[in-house]
Amino acid sequence: MKRTECIAMILAGGQGSRLGVLTKSVAKPAVPFGGKYRIIDFTLSNCLHSGINTVGVLTQYQPLDLNTYIGNGAPWDLNKNIGGVFILPPYQSDEKGEWYKGTANAIYQNIEFIDRFNPGYVVILSGDHIYKMDYSKMLLFHKEKDADATIAVIEVPWEDASRYGIMTADESGKITEFNEKPQKPKSNLASMGVYIFTWKTLKKYLKKDEKNPESVNDFGKNIIPSMLGAKERMFAYSFDGYWKDVGTIKSLWEANMDLLTEPPVLNLYDNDKSIFSRNPVKPPHYIAEGAVVKNSCVTEGCNVFGEIYHSILFEGVTVKEGAVIKDSIIFPGATIGKNTLINKAIIGENAVIGDGCSVGIKENAEKKSSYCTDGISVVSGGITLSEGTTVYKEEMVTRGGRRSE
Amino acid sequence: MLGIVYAGNRELSFNELTQMRSVSALPFAGRYRVIDFILSNMVNSGIINVGVAPKINYFSLMDHLGSGGPWDLNRTKSGLFILPPYIRGDIGKPSGTIDLIYGVLTFLRRSRQKYVLLSEGNTICNITFYDALKFHIEKNADITIIYSDNKTTDNLENCNLYTLDENKRITEAFCSPRYPKTTLAGMEMFIVERLKLIGMIEEAYSRGNHDFICDIILSNLNRLNIYGYEHKGFVARINSVESYFEANMKMLDNSVRREIFGGENPIFTKVKNQVPTKYGKEANAISSLIADGCNINGTVENSIISRGVYIGAGSHIKNSIIMQNSVIEENCDLENVIIDKECTLRRNKRLVGQPGLSVILPKRTLI
Repeated sequence: MKRTECIAMILAGGQGSRLGVLTKSVAKPAVPFGGKYRIIDFTLSNCLHSGINTVGVLTQYQPLDLNTYIGNGAPWDLNKNIGGVFILPPYQSDEKGEWYKGTANAIYQNIEFIDRFNPGYVVILSGDHIYKMDYSKMLLFHKEKDADATIAVIEVPWEDASRYGIMTADESGKITEFNEKPQKPKSNLASMGVYIFTWKTLKKYLKKDEKNPESVNDFGKNIIPSMLGAKERMFAYSFDGYWKDVGTIKSLWEANMDLLTEPPVLNLYDNDKSIFSRNPVKPPHYIAEGAVVKNSCVTEGCNVFGEIYHSILFEGVTVKEGAVIKDSIIFPGATIGKNTLINKAIIGENAVIGDGCSVGIKENAEKKSSYCTDGISVVSGGITLSEGTTVYKEEMVTRGGRRSE
Repeated sequence: MLGIVYAGNRELSFNELTQMRSVSALPFAGRYRVIDFILSNMVNSGIINVGVAPKINYFSLMDHLGSGGPWDLNRTKSGLFILPPYIRGDIGKPSGTIDLIYGVLTFLRRSRQKYVLLSEGNTICNITFYDALKFHIEKNADITIIYSDNKTTDNLENCNLYTLDENKRITEAFCSPRYPKTTLAGMEMFIVERLKLIGMIEEAYSRGNHDFICDIILSNLNRLNIYGYEHKGFVARINSVESYFEANMKMLDNSVRREIFGGENPIFTKVKNQVPTKYGKEANAISSLIADGCNINGTVENSIISRGVYIGAGSHIKNSIIMQNSVIEENCDLENVIIDKECTLRRNKRLVGQPGLSVILPKRTLI
């Protein structure tokens, strides 16, 4: 078979438990983002723009939505004769069958898959970051440095550095030290979770790591430190664009709001590097007489009769007369009832908020959820809130929780 | 059933709008093309073998249809076939519908479906053809004409009108009459058995006939069993600039929009990847249909805004249609205008048409 220079493996199996009810029935990469996208669109579109034609998506937690969404990969030009997109769940073999124990184990279990393409290099990506990056430039860097592993890094504020995997590199970019979530960081170069490995080398380490019973089979915790310990050639590749880990409710909300600044911090209006997504079949959105829409993003299929300020409406959202939505994100297909007030909230897919409800306005310390911070409230997908319901600030409402169906 | 969508031969005058494209390729409702409706209706009725027979200016149509993917017509078995007229010595240039269909006889002969749904691509409606086909079979009809009751005699220019007896048999047909005597107007959709259609077209062609309605239907009302099947839903016929404008504006009506787009049968169209539409702090939009990828900073009222349009601060758009990727800079004032694709209006421009007589800016105008 023709040799593929580089293939991408996207780790999309994580639960993303810090997103609380938003990932109750979908994997984190399938969480809606930015009015018409799913988080994984960014990684898939980056692959497309980087000329990577073979992509494996490793799924494990709640994969149904993600599988349907990716489908044959056509929106990302991944419906190909040679290569394309492959959904890779854990599977049974004649010897054994087990779940993906960790990120490295997930790749280990798919060594055979990767070997079919006989690639020189493998890009390991996570499906839960928002950024636009050209991996082909990074691959060029990897080859120039004759590296065994290249890790993309981004400068983070020093005070946040202890939340990331921190790299220390010398002047040539060679990584000298790596610390996972260090208490006293020596540098502010954080790993973006984007790795390029020379496949031959990585395979050796994956096999070695698998034999080690002490290992938790994780790239950050095991593979990188053991390669570093063995003095392999590892380099840090600096990236200076927009990058955001949307692993928490707060960061997800912030990243969405980054689209509304003027000019946008995260620019999706760049035609050459646009983000592709699976498009719904819906008519343009309708703004009724008496409606107000300011400083907001609205997508196809919406019907707006109320008032929208500094908010993001996904496709097919209905906002009825007299409703006022501020600083909020409304996921696809949700309905907001008449005279309902919503403030700084995330409303899940197909949720129905009844007439005269109040979301995220009143305070009640007892109702606060540990997932929600900075005054954000969350109503999970598919919930119906009856007329006049109050959802307090920083409250998270879910099925089986308070006042659900 | 198989489907054939042909370019109409009625004298349609759309001025600048159809200079470079056929009527069925006209942008509609901010994101669609007129042909999307008949194609989606066919696909929603289980038709998987569709031939499209354009006449002239079909580049934009072919560009839009591609391999038929958006309609699930990019199939291994059957699918979408674009059948542009090829100039053959013995056929010559096609001048009427009969010539067009004669040009696609090979496609008709090669197909295996028993019935043909023959349609001009210019009607906006959401319909499935199951009941019409059942009616056709029950009546043992040679041709079934799908029509709708226009209720008034307004907006019936360039339409074919019919009268029926209580048995739904067509008793009289009028080809684009100047003074309508009935409100029952054809939707330019016909059901015919495939082999019968081949026979009719061959016979008519050998007599030197050109028009399907005048030469086959009108002159055979007594000889053939020609029946009418009524579609009761919303119908808009795109016959003129005014009817095009009006049909677009009808989509602002909540109940019409719900019927056309909100039911279980979606209208499919070619997908363009666009970002969500962004509204600025000073934006002011009411009673409008706005597609994705726009940047709205001014006032929009009672208008249809297609994908990727920019509207500058202080601009006021009223009763207008703005097509894809046009740029309206700051402080422009537009009323009753149709702005074709990729136009640019520099700041402080004022364009005002009248109801019933819209100002049309041709594609890529810069003022």
